[in-house]
Amino acid sequence: MFKIKDNRAWLGVLPVVLIVSFSGVVPLMAVINYSVQDILDFNTRFFVGFQWYQETLQDPRFIEAFLRQVAFSLSVLLIEVPLGILIARGIPRDGWLTSVLLILLAIPLLIPWNVVGTIWQLFARSDIGLLGVTLNQMGFSFNYTVNPVDAWLTVLAMDVWHWTSLVALLTFAGLSSVPNAYYQAAKLDGASDWQVFRYIQLPRLRSVLIIAVLLRLIDSFMIYTETFVLTGGGPGNTTTFLSQHLATIAVGQFDLGPAAAFSVIYFLFTLLFCWIFYASITANHD
Amino acid sequence: MTSIQIEELQFQYPSANDPALKTTSFKIENGEAFALLGASGAGKTTLLNLLSGLLEPTSGSVKFDNETVNRVSGGDRNIAQVFQFPVLYEALTVQENLEFPLKARKFNSAFINERIKNIMNHFEMENLRNRRIGELSLFQKQLVSIGKSLVRPNLSAVLLDEPLTAVEPRMKWKLRNTLRQIQKEEELTMIYVTHDQTEALTFANRVAVMDQGHILQIATPDTIYRQPDHKFVGSFIGNPGMNFVSATFIRSTTPDTGGTKEIGFRPEWAVLNSGQPGDLSGQVKTTHLTGTTLGEPIGITWVSTNAGEIAIKGVLNHHPKEQVEIHLKQYLTFHNNKRLVANSDV
Amino acid sequence: MLRLKNIKIESNSPAFDIDFKPGITTVILGRNNSGKTPLLRFIAGLPTRTRGSLLLDNEEITLTKPQQRPIALVVQNFVNYPNWSVEQNILSPLRHKGFSTLELKERAHQLACTLGLEGLLSSMPNELSGGQQQRLAIARALAQDARVLLLDEPFVNLDYKLRESITLELRNLFNTKGTTIIYATSNPRDAFAMGDEALLLHEQAKLQSGSILDVYRSPETIEAAEMMSDPGVNIIPTNAKAGERAPLTAVRPEHIYLAREISTHETERFEFKIRGLETSGDETILYGTVANSTWVIRRPSMIEAPIDDTINVFVHKRDLIHFPLKQI
Repeated sequence: MFKIKDNRAWLGVLPVVLIVSFSGVVPLMAVINYSVQDILDFNTRFFVGFQWYQETLQDPRFIEAFLRQVAFSLSVLLIEVPLGILIARGIPRDGWLTSVLLILLAIPLLIPWNVVGTIWQLFARSDIGLLGVTLNQMGFSFNYTVNPVDAWLTVLAMDVWHWTSLVALLTFAGLSSVPNAYYQAAKLDGASDWQVFRYIQLPRLRSVLIIAVLLRLIDSFMIYTETFVLTGGGPGNTTTFLSQHLATIAVGQFDLGPAAAFSVIYFLFTLLFCWIFYASITANHD
Repeated sequence: MTSIQIEELQFQYPSANDPALKTTSFKIENGEAFALLGASGAGKTTLLNLLSGLLEPTSGSVKFDNETVNRVSGGDRNIAQVFQFPVLYEALTVQENLEFPLKARKFNSAFINERIKNIMNHFEMENLRNRRIGELSLFQKQLVSIGKSLVRPNLSAVLLDEPLTAVEPRMKWKLRNTLRQIQKEEELTMIYVTHDQTEALTFANRVAVMDQGHILQIATPDTIYRQPDHKFVGSFIGNPGMNFVSATFIRSTTPDTGGTKEIGFRPEWAVLNSGQPGDLSGQVKTTHLTGTTLGEPIGITWVSTNAGEIAIKGVLNHHPKEQVEIHLKQYLTFHNNKRLVANSDV
Repeated sequence: MLRLKNIKIESNSPAFDIDFKPGITTVILGRNNSGKTPLLRFIAGLPTRTRGSLLLDNEEITLTKPQQRPIALVVQNFVNYPNWSVEQNILSPLRHKGFSTLELKERAHQLACTLGLEGLLSSMPNELSGGQQQRLAIARALAQDARVLLLDEPFVNLDYKLRESITLELRNLFNTKGTTIIYATSNPRDAFAMGDEALLLHEQAKLQSGSILDVYRSPETIEAAEMMSDPGVNIIPTNAKAGERAPLTAVRPEHIYLAREISTHETERFEFKIRGLETSGDETILYGTVANSTWVIRRPSMIEAPIDDTINVFVHKRDLIHFPLKQI
């Protein structure tokens, strides 16, 4: 057995290599370069080694934002994944209702992020927003601009509204790969609804759910626009997540060195989380 | 353990112009091995789904032991089904799969162990007990799949939908034997759906032949082969199928002035020679060797006659383009596609 | 005459010669990976590891480009152009070859008639049944008016009734046209149905060739006997001990008779224990054992016999196939 070798095939890969290096590798190198310098202005720079990294990691505001971020991402996953699965299981397999539901589900995904923020900012306002006013009239005192708990709930609700559809649509696609015979056999076996989910659907959803979780993890870790528009990180710093904290340093205070160090740390964390997640999901299933 | 009555049963899909199953009545006896035979699209699956409770009849009824079950779900009808491809809980082991239907129905563990042992013995799969489904071959999976559907006690019926499609030809008879053995031991009512005549004729006590939503004949395999009630049955079964010619061309039959009767005969019901005039004459078109008998080549001779092309099985004595005479040893008479009952040998 | 000389299917396989005669069908019979497909690809001029020389009517065409050979190939996973009608598909090999529209129309009609597609000329391929699509692929191959037509298991995906009728149609068509047909298959029944001559391939080597009847009657090796038998041949038990050299004798499943079918002289009797049977109406296959070897018996008509019974079966001495001494 021999294979025909044709090294010209590598030329085909070249455009991708170029694009990826320009869009990914080159900016990253620039950031790493900044992160080890103290930049007073564009002409005055000092090499400071890992000083910015040390300072960033010890900065209590960074640690708080980081913990907040983790809490947020986990909450989002814990709500959106089960909810998405539940919705997907509720969608009929075929018929006119299926297409209507799929379109309805897709709508939130099509709305630009800043618009989502604006919608919820208005929707939840305690003076004129439908949600805020209704809650207050029902006797709850609700004001996301003052009360940190209210602010958190609003941000979570917004993210759930925006992104649960993604999980639901992916899951639905995964579920439609299960042949009908499996459900029929389960019915004849006397399997409960939970058993149908646990033993028929879940095994077939594995790869789809890994993708859904990874996407939601990465995205929620980067959340910026919506919260920026909705709460601006407030009240106080209670909804300031990593990206917003970074923006404050980089754009607000123009501390390029620390901001770059922050970015690298941020990047590594995201990478680490995704890797841990992916490894743990794929590992226990040879 | 149940007799199944089909009474004036008909089914039409909401969007279709024609019923997928035309009105039919018949009975499947308690403990019978019954086969539904037909090409794809004949309505076998529709009938199967009506029996399993997946579809609700448009009119008429399905009765299990005289009780109408039209609206009773498959689970409550206490039936089991085997599909064309293995349908199993893929994350579980063989044993867990077999236990599943029993645990779901809350049988005690001593009984469960007893049943599983029994099934594993029948299908010779004790050595697979702790394997995961993903590690099994397609054949082994189908074995477990059949085992799982038969593991429940006191089933009212077992529906098998082309269960041996995934099984390699030389293994089929073994599995079929096992199925029949369990069927007899437990007096199960088994309904076997297939497009393969060998499967149906070998497995069943009685075979129902279907075409275009009609059940054309229900009879023992022997009767189906020797006395097809309908032209379709005659041509569908047999390889090649029955020959049909208008009765006016056959010399030994009573004259049929209307020209509406047809004569049907199997390729082995006629002999060829080139001597005295027979029932039909024609010219050999091609021959098809199938083997030898005592050194003589045997096979199928295709003869062009003025009544159409005729296939004759037997010794290959004649070469292409040779003039030959066809003598019928035995034939059936058909009118409007249906067999006329008063038939005799020539 | 298509003449293949010094053919090596793989670089290390033994070389052989074979001739394919015009106007008849030669079946290449062999299991999967026995070298059928590489050989056909070699004849068609497609990339393959097979080496040798190829002569069509004494003209060397080994190095001729596939497009310039008068050879057409139909494969198992046939492809028709999905966006063209049946007629356009049939004529696809003739496009831009300078035929007049009238000539083309006539050609398409003629081919469609022979292959039973005459009412479907304006249909699209996806409106056809599987069998019709396969016939369309064959019509396309025939439209080239090739002098050699190669068919690589073209009917594997069709059900047997359809196979039966297409096979008959094709044989009638080919016998009259003088085309050299080479038909590769792994199914001995196809070989009987399609072929005049056979070439048996086994592990990339030629096992035997000749007329179907000769190859069937006098196989040179047990592999050749096995290959032309469906189900396989039965080995006659011997008294030889392990390690001894003993003559190997076999008998085909259709040459074993049940007690009532044969007069007793000139026969050998065996005790056959029935393990299972299956019937298709026109024949019955009995599975079982004789002494310690597994046997299969094929009898015409429907036979009923109780499983696990032992019955007497008879083999006529002339039907025994003897092979040279072999280590057991």
